[in-house]
Amino acid sequence: MPALAVALAREPIPRVREAMMTALIRIGNAASIEVLLPYLRSQEASVRAAAIEALQALPEAIAPFMSPLLNDGDSDVRLLATELARNMEASEATRLLCELIEHEHHPNVCAAAIDVLTEVGTPEALPTLERCSARFAATPFLPFAVSIAMSRISGEES
Amino acid sequence: MADTATPAKAKVLVVDDSSLVRLYYRSALEIAGFEVKQAINGIEAMEKVLSESFDLVIVDVNMPRMDGFTFLRLLRSGAAADVSTLPALMISTESGEQDMAEARVAGANFYLVKPVAEAELVRHVCVLAGVAL
Amino acid sequence: MDDSKEGSSFAVHISPEQVQRFCEFLYRRTGMSFAESKRYFIDRRLEDRITATGSSSFQEYFSLLRADADQEIEHLINSFTVNETYFYREEHQLRCMTTSLLEAIVCQKKPGSTLRIWSIPCSTGEEPYSIALWLMENWPQVDSYNIEIVGSDIDTRALKAAAEGIYGDRALMRLSHDIIGRYFGPVTGGNHQIDEGLRNSIEFTRANLIDTKDMTQYRDFDLIFCRNVLIYFDDASRRLAAENLYDCLRPGGYICLGHSESMSRISPLFRVSRFPDAIVYQRPEADHG
Repeated sequence: MPALAVALAREPIPRVREAMMTALIRIGNAASIEVLLPYLRSQEASVRAAAIEALQALPEAIAPFMSPLLNDGDSDVRLLATELARNMEASEATRLLCELIEHEHHPNVCAAAIDVLTEVGTPEALPTLERCSARFAATPFLPFAVSIAMSRISGEES
Repeated sequence: MADTATPAKAKVLVVDDSSLVRLYYRSALEIAGFEVKQAINGIEAMEKVLSESFDLVIVDVNMPRMDGFTFLRLLRSGAAADVSTLPALMISTESGEQDMAEARVAGANFYLVKPVAEAELVRHVCVLAGVAL
Repeated sequence: MDDSKEGSSFAVHISPEQVQRFCEFLYRRTGMSFAESKRYFIDRRLEDRITATGSSSFQEYFSLLRADADQEIEHLINSFTVNETYFYREEHQLRCMTTSLLEAIVCQKKPGSTLRIWSIPCSTGEEPYSIALWLMENWPQVDSYNIEIVGSDIDTRALKAAAEGIYGDRALMRLSHDIIGRYFGPVTGGNHQIDEGLRNSIEFTRANLIDTKDMTQYRDFDLIFCRNVLIYFDDASRRLAAENLYDCLRPGGYICLGHSESMSRISPLFRVSRFPDAIVYQRPEADHG
């Protein structure tokens, strides 16, 4: 596995890089996750995107890594990690994302979490969303995002 | 907020993997008189700009399957000459100098950092699409 | 499609917000999107699926859909698309083949050289036979190249039917009487059998898109028609199938997807190419990034 990690880092040919990612998804265990995680910090947007997609395809294997990722010191990592909850079971995804939102200072990280909740969130997210909207009342976009998320989750007009 | 009496219906393609962001831009731009289409990533954006004509494309950086930088590089590569000069506004969560520099090199005409307020968005879109405010 | 299904009598209330949530999911996952004016159509299909899966609410159905329990995504896509196969289906792609794609392909080939076209999945053969018919009818250079058409499917029963080449009136509805007269002969039951020469001109094989080893037998195709199958696959299978198809194409070769499919949900490996009749995808000539 470490050999694959090194190869992945240096691989310039998209077809080969794609195949390595696919291989990691197919193996799908904790070791694959550990190979992929460092790429969330890549300077290259295309590498970050590929890593997120591969990790997202492994919702069960990624579960134990979610808490550390959502508490990472780097807001870019927290932001990308919210996307990993998208394929998780709804109540677990809701719990993780709400925990994040409650103490998250960065508006863009909250926005990313709200986007995922809009699709997968359960009604348990509603109080957290309401508090988030109040906290970021003066920030562009966030109150809008919360109102849409709340209406989609509750199934009722905001 | 921009004057709602914008005369021409300029057409904008919003490229972002967040459905909320696409909705936010769309509602702001539609109120300002723009026609808005959407794409979820760089590949779909390429399909759209090759299928119909746009006055401006708004593009995010981090997206699945094809990121915004890769999309802009392809757009500017000249493979399809008629779209290679399409004005592009990049709007991303990435606020580093390096990202802005990369955006410029990739071919973005302007770069904004999220979150962006509606009025600010409309103002920049008007300038870049060549529509009077 | 039949609009008078029993689903309409079932009292599951679906709010506009729930329809929005559903539509966003479908769009992200498949690329399929519907205009506001199609709201009624969406509601009806959604009601049908909620009833068919025995779900008691939208919420319950949506969880099931997200988890893709009992291949619900496949059932759902089927309910939103017309899954019928007939000759000259998606004619614009066939037109694109003869007016644009083959020109681009043969400009790098010598007359007399081989041109390989693959129809996968070919189901009961309508697509590969359509390709052959279309080429004979619409491509003046058809005799200047050695054209090989391969039809593959995972279902051996479908392949057997394809090799027999017997079709009812419905499958032939888009063909002119003239074409039917020249390429088909009557058989029992009012059906039509495609002529022997055409049947023998196409090689039918069993192939599995996500079996990489199986797929290594298929190489150097200039053009692949892979319609209405990748949309049903999950992310991992889709990636694998796309990579396999990439390897089956010659560099510079083209792939056509179904009309409700977009490579944007499948793979970044191909280049989006625009032609007057269709958007198709190309394996880049060179392998660099």
